[in-house]
Amino acid sequence: MELQGESWLTTRLDKFADWSRSNSFWPLPFGTACCAIEFMGTVSSHYDMSRFGYEVVRFSPRQSDLMIVAGTITDKMAPVLKRIYDQMPDPKWVVSMGACACSGGFYRAYHVMQGIDEIIPVDVYVPGCPPSPEGLMYGILQIKEKIARDRKALRERAKKAKGKGRDAA
Amino acid sequence: MSVSHDLAANVNRAALALPGVQQHPKELMPRRMTFAERLYLPLLSGLMVTIKHFFLNIFRIRPRVTIQYPEERRSYSHRYRGHHILTTRPDGSVRCVACFLCATNCPAECIHIEAAEHPDVNIEKYPVVYEIDMLRCVFCGYCVDACPEEAIIMSNNYDMAFFSRSQSIVGKADLMKPFTFDPAKLGYRPYYPEEDAQHAAMRRQAVDLVAAAKAKAAGDRAVAGG
Amino acid sequence: MLLEEPALLARFPAGSVVPQEGPDAPADQPTWVVRREVLLDLCRALRDDPQGRYDLLLDVCGADYPDRDERFEAVYHLYSVPTANRLRLKVPLTESDPKLPSVISVWKGADWFEREAYDMYGFVFEGHPNLRRLLTHEGFQGHPLRKDYDPARRWILTEDKIYRPVLRAPADRPESMFERMTINIGPSHPAMHGTFRFVAMVDGEEIVASEVEIGYLHRCMEKMSETHTWQQVIPYTDRLNYCSSFLNNVAYCRTVEKLLGIEAPPRAVWARTILSEFSRIMDHCVANGSTLVDTGALTNFWYFFQPREEIYGLLEAVCGARLTVSACRIGGLLADLPPDFVQRCERLLEFIPPLIDDVEKLVDKNRIWMDRSVGIAAISGEEAVNWSWTGPCLRASGVAYDVRRAHPYDLYDTVDWEVPVLHGGDVYDRFRLRMLEIRQSLRIIRQLIERGVPAGPFVVDDPHVALPPKDACYNQMESMIYHFKLIMDGIRVPAGETYLMTEGANGELGFYVVSDGSGKPYRLHVRAPCLPIFSTFPTLMRGHSVSDAIATLGGLNVIAGELER
Repeated sequence: MELQGESWLTTRLDKFADWSRSNSFWPLPFGTACCAIEFMGTVSSHYDMSRFGYEVVRFSPRQSDLMIVAGTITDKMAPVLKRIYDQMPDPKWVVSMGACACSGGFYRAYHVMQGIDEIIPVDVYVPGCPPSPEGLMYGILQIKEKIARDRKALRERAKKAKGKGRDAA
Repeated sequence: MSVSHDLAANVNRAALALPGVQQHPKELMPRRMTFAERLYLPLLSGLMVTIKHFFLNIFRIRPRVTIQYPEERRSYSHRYRGHHILTTRPDGSVRCVACFLCATNCPAECIHIEAAEHPDVNIEKYPVVYEIDMLRCVFCGYCVDACPEEAIIMSNNYDMAFFSRSQSIVGKADLMKPFTFDPAKLGYRPYYPEEDAQHAAMRRQAVDLVAAAKAKAAGDRAVAGG
Repeated sequence: MLLEEPALLARFPAGSVVPQEGPDAPADQPTWVVRREVLLDLCRALRDDPQGRYDLLLDVCGADYPDRDERFEAVYHLYSVPTANRLRLKVPLTESDPKLPSVISVWKGADWFEREAYDMYGFVFEGHPNLRRLLTHEGFQGHPLRKDYDPARRWILTEDKIYRPVLRAPADRPESMFERMTINIGPSHPAMHGTFRFVAMVDGEEIVASEVEIGYLHRCMEKMSETHTWQQVIPYTDRLNYCSSFLNNVAYCRTVEKLLGIEAPPRAVWARTILSEFSRIMDHCVANGSTLVDTGALTNFWYFFQPREEIYGLLEAVCGARLTVSACRIGGLLADLPPDFVQRCERLLEFIPPLIDDVEKLVDKNRIWMDRSVGIAAISGEEAVNWSWTGPCLRASGVAYDVRRAHPYDLYDTVDWEVPVLHGGDVYDRFRLRMLEIRQSLRIIRQLIERGVPAGPFVVDDPHVALPPKDACYNQMESMIYHFKLIMDGIRVPAGETYLMTEGANGELGFYVVSDGSGKPYRLHVRAPCLPIFSTFPTLMRGHSVSDAIATLGGLNVIAGELER
C-alpha cells in the first residue's frame, strides 16, 4: 500500500523520530589529538554530556549516529576516517571539532588534510583550538536545530518532486 | 681540553650517586602481594572511598562540580581567548588602521585585510575588508599582542558553530558587533581591570614624557629659529 | 675534559673524527664531525669505553644545508647517564649517496630515530632491519624536511596503498595446536588512544610477534616551524604534548633564550617552575587515568579529571586558554600573573592531595589491578637505557635519571625534593611512580608558593626580544618602531646551534635548534621522549596477551602529538 501524500500520522511520526534522535545521540568520538582531551573533559563530570542524553559514547561506528571528529586528520588517517564514516548507519551527522578538523588550522602542511570536508560531509563546524567543552556542547546542540530544519527542507523537496511528477503525468 | 661547554658546566655531580645511575639494574623486583592483598581485603577501603563520594554527592554535602550548561556557565577569567572583537572609536567607526601587523603575526594566516585611504586626514588608513577565518584561527592571541592600536581584542565568547565553511569567514560588521561595550564579556586584551590603576599611572607617565619631549623639541626649534 | 680523550680518537684514522673547535663550534656540548666509515666503530667504542660510557642515544636527526658540498648532516646526540656527559656527532653526507651505517646494533633505541631520519631526509641506514617510512604514509613521495620540499605539497593516500604488515613468528618458536592469527587494533580504536595501529600475531592468547604503525598524527611541526618566526613557533609547541603544553613552551623558550644569551626574569622563572609542575601533575593524571580506564577502572578517571579541571582553571586565568596555553614568550611570559595567582595555587594545593589519596586507596593494594599490572611489560633498567628511555618509565625501572636533578634548571636546585625510583619496571610501577611524582611536584610547588612572588617584570626588558609594553608602544616612537620590527621581522636569533633539555612529563624533552641569523628557525628538531619508549612496544609485548597490550599503552604515556609531531 502506498501512503497518499502527507498524512497527519506520518508527519507526527517524523516529528517523533526527530525528537527522539536529537535527544539521544550516540556519539562516536573520532579523537586523534588535543581536541580529544577536551572531548574527554566534555563527557567527564564537570560538563557531563549525559545531561542531554548523549552519554552513550560508542567506539563502534555501527552503533553510533553522531561522529565527533576531534583532532587533526592527516592524509594517512584520511582513508580510515572515510571508512569509519561509511560504516555508520544512516541517518548520521558529523561534528567537526576544532580548527584542525575544520580546515587544517595552522598546519598548512604536507601531511595534514585541509579540513575533513574534503572527504566526508560535515554538519556543524566548531571553531577553537581546541574548543572549550561548552563550545563543543554548543556545536552539538546546533545539530538538534539542524535536524528539525533538515526535515522541513526534506519535506519541501519531496513535495516539489511530487508536484513535478504530477505535472509530467 | 680547556673548552668548556655550557651543558657540561651545568651538571649536578650529586645526582650521579642516585640509585641506578652508575650501574643500571639488570634485575627486576616487581611488587609482591601481601597476604591481605591476596585475599582482596584492601578492596574494602576502596569501597569506602566510592561510598564516601556517593553520599557526599547524593546529599549535596559538597557542591556538585557539574556545570549546568547552557543555563549556567563556567566563569572564565578576563583573559579568555574567544571570539575576536574589533574595537571602535568614540564615533563608532572602526579603530583599526589597517597596518597588517595582526595578519603578519598570525601563525595561522587567518586574517585578511584590504586597506583604503581614510577620509579623515588624521587617520591614514582603514580596513575596507577585515575578515577572520574562524575555522583557521587557533585562538593564540597573537593578533592582540601585535596590534599597536588596541583595535583587535578578544571576548570570552565561545559559543560558536558554523554550518558551512563560507559562513565561518567573519567580516568586519560581525567582529565589531559583539559584546564591545559589555566589560564582563571581554577576554584577552592588553589591559585587565585589576591592573587598571597601575596601567593608568604608567600611561600618564608615558604621556607626560611625550609631552615633555615635545615641549623640549618645540623649545629647541624656537631657539634654533631665534 | 673526558670527552676529547686522545686515546679514543687515536684509534681511528686521522681526519675521520674531528672535534669541532673554535668560535664557530657549538657552545653547548662537544661536537665531533665523523666520517661515516668509522661511525659504527666509534659508536661502539663510545658506548663500551670506560672513559666514554655513552649508554643513552638521545636522538638521531638530520639537517639539510643545500649550499654545502656535503649537503646533509646526520646529527646524533649521545648522553652518558653515569658521567652526565653529552656529545654530539655529525656525519656529513652527500645528496647522491646519503648512506651511513645503522647504529641499531649499539643502541636499540636507534630503530625509530633512524626510520624517521630516512623518512624526513632520505638517509639510508645500512643494516637497519626495517627501514620504512615512519611518519608519512606509503603514498608519500620525496623527503619533506629537505629544504627544497614545498611545505604544502601533499600526497593522497589511497586504500590500496595502505601498509599491510606481514608478521612472522620467531623461528625458535615451536608450532602450537592453535592456528596463528593476525589481528589489527587501531588506528581508530579507543584503547590505542586514537592514533596508533598495533598489528599482532597471536597464538591463542599470546602475542608472538607484533608491529606498531604510527604517523597518523604527523602534523609536520618541524617543517612548519621553519616557515614561522621564532615567536610563532610557540603555539606549535603547545600541541606537541598537549596534556602538558606548558612544559613544551618552557622547553622551547629556554632553548631560544639560550641561543639569544638572555635569561628570563626571576618572576617569570618562578611562575614557569610552578606552572610546569602543575602541568606535570596534569599529565600524570591523564597517563594514570587512561591506564586505569583502559583496564576498566572508570571511577579513577573521574577522580583524576577533577584536579585537571581545576588546574585548567589556573592556566586559563594566567593565559586565557585551558589546554593549548601558549603562556610563555621568548624571554618570559605572555602577560603578568593574575593578582589572585597565589590564592589559586594554594587552593589547588589543598584540593589535589585528597583526590590523589582516593585514587591510591582504590587501586594501590587492589588485587584486581595488580593482577593486570604487576610483571606486565617489564623492562630492566639496563635494557631501558639501551632503548633510549628517559623519564618516569625509566625511573620505574630503577635508573634515577631526572633532568631536573642531573642538570638543574629554573628553580629546581633551590627547592627540596626527591627523585622517586622503583625497581619493578612494569605497568604497576610506572603507575606508582607517577603517583609519587605527583606528590613531589606538589612539594616543589608548596615551597615555591611559600617563598612568595618575586617582584619585577614578567618578561625581559630587551626591545630586540620582547614586545615593548603596550603603553610605551602607543605613546613612544622608539617603542613603536621596535614593536613593528619585532612583528614584521621576528626576533633575530644569532646564528648557531644548540640543544637544550628539560624534564618533560614523560622524559627528556629536548629541542635541537639551528639558527642562521634570520627571523625564522633554520632547523628545529624535537627530541620527543615517548618516541623511543613507544618503539619498544612490540618487544615489550612479546609473550603477553592483547589485554596486556591495552594495559601497557596508557602507562607508557605515549602522546601522539609529541610522538609524531
